[in-house]
Amino acid sequence: MLALAGCGIEATTPAAGTPTATGTTAPPLDEVTPLADPRAWDGPVTAVPAGAAVEPVSDTGAPRLPATVTDAQGTEVTVTDVSRVLALDVHGTLARTVFDLGLGESLVGRDVSTQFDEASDLPLVTQNGHDLNAEAILSLDPTLIITDTSLGPWDVVLQMREAGIPVVVVDGDRGLDNVAALTREVAAALGVPSRGEELATRIEREVAAVTEQIAGVAPAAETDRLRTVFLYVRGQAGVYYLFGEDSGADTLIDALGLYDVADEIEWGGVKPVTDEAIVAAQPELVLMMTKGLESAGGVDGLLERLPALANTPAGEHRRFVDMADSQILGYGPASADVLNALAVAVYAPEAVA
Amino acid sequence: MSAARTRPVLEARGAGVERGGVPILSGVDLDLHAGELVALVGPNGAGKSTLLGLLAGDFAPTTGQVRLDGQPMADHRPRDLARRRAVLMQHQALAFGFHVRDVVAMGRAPWHRTERAAADRTVIASAMERADVDHLADRLFPTLSGGEQSRASFARVLAQETPIVMLDEPTAALDIRHQEALLQVARAEARCGALVVVVLHDLSLAGAYADRVCLLSDGRLRADGSPTEVLRGPLLSEVYQHPVRVIDHDGTPVVLPVRGGVGCAPSY
Amino acid sequence: MTAVPAAPASRGLAAGRLRAARGPLLLIGLLLALVAALLVSAGTGQLAVPPAEVLGSVLHRLGLDAGPLPSHPQGDATLWSVRFPRVAMAALAGAALATAGAVMQGVFGNPLAEPGVVGVSSGAAVAAGAVIVFDATALGSWTVAAAAFAGGLVTTLLVYLLSRDGGRTEVVTLVLTGIALNAMTSAGLSFLLFLGDQQAREEIVFWTLGSLNGTRWSAVAIVAPLAVVGVAAAVALARPLDLLSLGDRAARHVGVDVERLRLVAIVVVALLTAAAVSFCGIIAFVGLVVPHLVRMVAGPGHRLLIPASALGGALLLVCADLWARTAVQNADLPIGLLTSLVGGPFFFWLIRRSRRTAGGWA
Repeated sequence: MLALAGCGIEATTPAAGTPTATGTTAPPLDEVTPLADPRAWDGPVTAVPAGAAVEPVSDTGAPRLPATVTDAQGTEVTVTDVSRVLALDVHGTLARTVFDLGLGESLVGRDVSTQFDEASDLPLVTQNGHDLNAEAILSLDPTLIITDTSLGPWDVVLQMREAGIPVVVVDGDRGLDNVAALTREVAAALGVPSRGEELATRIEREVAAVTEQIAGVAPAAETDRLRTVFLYVRGQAGVYYLFGEDSGADTLIDALGLYDVADEIEWGGVKPVTDEAIVAAQPELVLMMTKGLESAGGVDGLLERLPALANTPAGEHRRFVDMADSQILGYGPASADVLNALAVAVYAPEAVA
Repeated sequence: MSAARTRPVLEARGAGVERGGVPILSGVDLDLHAGELVALVGPNGAGKSTLLGLLAGDFAPTTGQVRLDGQPMADHRPRDLARRRAVLMQHQALAFGFHVRDVVAMGRAPWHRTERAAADRTVIASAMERADVDHLADRLFPTLSGGEQSRASFARVLAQETPIVMLDEPTAALDIRHQEALLQVARAEARCGALVVVVLHDLSLAGAYADRVCLLSDGRLRADGSPTEVLRGPLLSEVYQHPVRVIDHDGTPVVLPVRGGVGCAPSY
Repeated sequence: MTAVPAAPASRGLAAGRLRAARGPLLLIGLLLALVAALLVSAGTGQLAVPPAEVLGSVLHRLGLDAGPLPSHPQGDATLWSVRFPRVAMAALAGAALATAGAVMQGVFGNPLAEPGVVGVSSGAAVAAGAVIVFDATALGSWTVAAAAFAGGLVTTLLVYLLSRDGGRTEVVTLVLTGIALNAMTSAGLSFLLFLGDQQAREEIVFWTLGSLNGTRWSAVAIVAPLAVVGVAAAVALARPLDLLSLGDRAARHVGVDVERLRLVAIVVVALLTAAAVSFCGIIAFVGLVVPHLVRMVAGPGHRLLIPASALGGALLLVCADLWARTAVQNADLPIGLLTSLVGGPFFFWLIRRSRRTAGGWA
């Protein structure tokens, strides 16, 4: 998936409330009028999350160093200096988390998915979204690297360790179920566990609030929910992947009160899917990444190229919801905004379309 | 030659070869002695090259046995074999563009890391001179003509300095001068005590140079003896299925085919 | 025989001596060029460390307190844990691949045989990829290398058995065998891509492109003995390989145990290919281009060809890698891309040329 998600992430987050080239920033779900029946809507919607601005936690207690943590791979790492930090992953989640922990100033470089205004001036150390370059990283003289297994080659990460730089490897999965835990992992590595606690609690609170609002508009019965697939399409060569269990898309679909077709057909991970499987799945809604959809020639181009997709309710009603590649599966501090924007696009599309 | 009194260097006992169930050679009994120049003759497909390959140890007989110095062929390691016999094949192949000198030097390989390696340079020079390729020493082997390649390979065989020399149609691509020269060298080798086995198509050349002629026909040894014993008109006419006349020229048999007119191919 | 004038012979002798002197000169020249390339490569990278500081860093590691240490805080670490192992790996992989090519061409008696072209590299990559996807660790850090060796061995044997007929390798058969094997192995790799998780996929993609990014000393420590043993074995095979160019039967006539030579040579090719492939991925055409250039300068004799190819291959890959890691700021270009870019057209040229000149084909 990293190889896929890595390509062509370019979108920048607009300021809240401004219409963008692709869509309008989503208002809060509880301020819009939902459709009586989401199946009544025809046409594609671009979901644009609001609240893109970094909002550091209120806790400003100084990092307690040295901080010794056991990372996600069981490696014990001692961090003595957090003045020059690199937080890198394929989704840009880690850098955003560092910013919201109030330590954005200490970041010295960014990955290609980290595109919010506050970080966009930092030097880029990944190419093609997922290639790490050892010398480029070392030239920034980092005192701490926080990353997961989504960037490679993995040997470059090990080289960093051999060069004497503390490397904390955090959980590589992204989903609503581990946002809080991931936030705490990052905070612990930075020596600010209490800030982590505050941020984790805040994210959980915000997500819970949005989830509650979604519950208010989503059909109660599982069978009434929109049958949904998360498709990854890149280019016009007919490459398309279905995101299944543990892909990050599964918890998203569940949280949005949608019916996860991938779950029904026991689809795990991210794998290429066949035309007939798509027809058989009969999705009523397709979630996609904006750049991916654009690269396939938009909804029109996609339906023309994939007649199978046209033969599903989603295709017939052109019910596609897309969101920027760098945001839709990023989770982290922006989770609630992402959920809200997607929920508005699904249940109250008139507000943004 | 009175070679028959000594122990044979090479012997075949009921040797036969089958390929894909088809007998190529069968029941060959042959004793070959040092100092002999033996010509293997016979029509196309008679099994001459197969017999030579068998005697050279290139493959094992399907039936019977071939022994070198009294030991079965398979008991000789490749390197020991290479110090006993050298072979000039009918077709010369070379995968890369080596110089002629390098190709001739390959004949010295069996003597690498032995006392005899000290003589490499002189042996190579002399071999090239005897095969008349010393002027080609710095040419690339693949750029030579067929006859030149054949002579260069003959020089390699000479450089190997073995007591057994096997030549498979060595004269096929050569002009008259080089045919004669090559067989003179071959006979000189035999006079100096080597066993020389030559496959020849030209029966007159066999008659002129061989001490002994083995006539093969349909995979069997049809006749084995001195040139005058074997190269006889009626026998050859029968084996070659073509009328042949043999004339005596100062004691050596000269074989001439009887020539008649053949019409055009029928047109349909 | 008697009619031969003496003059051409002595002229030939002089030319021969000239040719003999060319060998050591070539080896010395290649060695000097390689040392120079290693120095330039060790002193160049995306993190700027001036040559004096590079030298100072090396001297300090050697226990000599001379010269300036790198002024960049991560300079020393960069040199020793990133750049030096990578440069060393480039040299080792280049030497291994070029030697593998030279040996393979000798065994096949064909200048177009090359681990990448005939599918041996990708065979090794499939086996190594399987190890990654199925997370096998039976032999510890040697598992990948061992699998690559096994994969390379099987493919080399397959190529050999499929492309030889009657003691000869027909060029067309060889190339077609390569096409078939490359198709099979790329299918295998695609299947592994399908099966693998994200990280495994990443590694397999990385492989098929060929790259030296992320080389660590632990990898160098595995590749170095394989490459050294492989090159040494290849040098030991030089004499019989010369003789093998006479063809199987004629080689046996001059004392070569052809079957054994072939077996040993195939093992050596697989060993060398595995050395390069297990950590650097598929870097094609090095084994084609380098031996061929050496042959053009020094002739086909393997006693010179093999050591010169090893040096030339190391030189080529060190230079190619220098380019790959400095051409684009912050990025690493796949080195396999570069070698294929240069090697592909060279291959075309070689095919045309071999067809014209005698002796090029089996």
